[in-house]
Amino acid sequence: MKKLVYILFFFYSISNAKIITVGKAFPVKTIKKAISLANDGDTIIVTQGLYKEGNIIINKKITFLGKNQPTLDGQNKFEVLSIAADSVVVKGFKIINSGYAALDDPCGIKVYDRNFVHLENNFLDNNFFGIYLQNCKNSIVKNNTIKAYGKQEQLIGNGIHCWKSENLQIIGNKISGHRDGIYFEFVTQSVIWRNISNNNIRYGLHFMFSNDDSYITNVFKGNGAGVAVMFTKNVKMFNNYFEENWGDSAYGLLLKEIADSYIFNNRFARNTSGIYMEGTSRIKVEKNIFEANGWGMKIQASCMENEIVNNNYVGNTFDISTNGSLVLNTFNSNYWDKYEGYDLNKDGIGDVPYHPLSLFAVLTENNPSAMILYRSFMITLLDKSEKVLPSITPDNFIDNTPLMKSLPL
Amino acid sequence: MKIFIIASFLTLTTVSCSFKEPKPIKLNTDACDFCKMTIANGKFGAELSTKKGRYYKFDDTACMIQFTKSNTNIPYQSFFVCDYLKDNTLIPAETAYFIKGGKINSPMRGNIAAFSSAKEQTEFGKKLEAQTISWTEVNNAYE
Repeated sequence: MKKLVYILFFFYSISNAKIITVGKAFPVKTIKKAISLANDGDTIIVTQGLYKEGNIIINKKITFLGKNQPTLDGQNKFEVLSIAADSVVVKGFKIINSGYAALDDPCGIKVYDRNFVHLENNFLDNNFFGIYLQNCKNSIVKNNTIKAYGKQEQLIGNGIHCWKSENLQIIGNKISGHRDGIYFEFVTQSVIWRNISNNNIRYGLHFMFSNDDSYITNVFKGNGAGVAVMFTKNVKMFNNYFEENWGDSAYGLLLKEIADSYIFNNRFARNTSGIYMEGTSRIKVEKNIFEANGWGMKIQASCMENEIVNNNYVGNTFDISTNGSLVLNTFNSNYWDKYEGYDLNKDGIGDVPYHPLSLFAVLTENNPSAMILYRSFMITLLDKSEKVLPSITPDNFIDNTPLMKSLPL
Repeated sequence: MKIFIIASFLTLTTVSCSFKEPKPIKLNTDACDFCKMTIANGKFGAELSTKKGRYYKFDDTACMIQFTKSNTNIPYQSFFVCDYLKDNTLIPAETAYFIKGGKINSPMRGNIAAFSSAKEQTEFGKKLEAQTISWTEVNNAYE
């Protein structure tokens, strides 16, 4: 009986929800009017057109749908859409021209301290910040396209900015031209999946103080400084592409003060440095491809107990570089295309250990301008003799079981 | 005349060797020398020069202070901080007015803003609910 009452109540509440259509041809002409008429559980459908209504605040639990992608214009003055209610759904809008100011960070869509918000299939163009989730839980940001036109030397916000949140799903978004494509600060238990973050001014993805997150199958390409993961533990990074991040302070992946994380099956191609590690401990780097980078990995002396296993190093200028002589990390069973050893017993494992750290990598680390001598006859000679008799490079910096053939990754 | 030339030459060399002028930070290009992040926010940047004339750039005043704490062997010359109200303009830290905490959101969570006048300091201290703080206190804020 009790169940029946619940079910009846459920149907009652559904049948009670109404749909308000906004548009030129409809009685309700403005979005603000529609929101004021709506009750919790209602649906507002906005038809095609250009709506310049300043700051639109959704303060009721409504479903807010755009039909044929209506445009909400912030006229470079306002925050376009502010969400101040739980369980709001926003789908199918084109949101353009948010305000431009630094103090209150105006956004395309900003969610204030809410749960179960769902933002999907929106196109955000030329906003200061794209989507901003502040103190949110259990929310989804899916299949949005976020574009801005930030230039060097200019202040611009992040594409998807998440702060003090948990259980977020950031899925299938395309972000370009912002400061950081995706920015996580104090965000836990969240997943970033199948996003494409290209050509942002600073980082494609930026993690700060965000524990227990994973990012899987994303593409980070051509960003000002690659991807940065900082002051964080328990991060899982699987199947991502880190490509074409060129510059003096650009890294495919910058790791600083990271612990207990797992980097698996990623591809680092054509970066100045594939991975730069500082203050990093207990990380496993497994089955990644490092291809055509300036430096495959730069491991600073402050890193310890990291395991680098079963990776392919192909066509990098330097495979590994470090700034100290202390070796606290292990290298095992990687494929190094610079390996010149032999395999007499044909078990696929080289019979002599490989020293991934070249003499010249150490020299340039201490004295960057020495790079001008690279590929000179003397350096090649020194490098060869160093391989045979290590004197400057630490002699225990070795891979004891280098692979003869690259792994099929 | 000769003495004058020598004297002017000497003053010129001493002036040019003092490194008391800030070097502008290139936003989104220069990286912080402490945290390695690319400097993107011109409100919170900081810079220091050494007696030998090397400049170190930072994205947050906290990074600069922590840098000096961990590199005690470097002979420091001058410290500069960005004026919160003028985007990416460095002012000498010794004569700047600071506020800390409240609603200030700096890149590395040092949450210090600098101003060039005491009036701005009190005004924005109220606005951002932050406390006023002196340069010496800033120096000891991140022990």
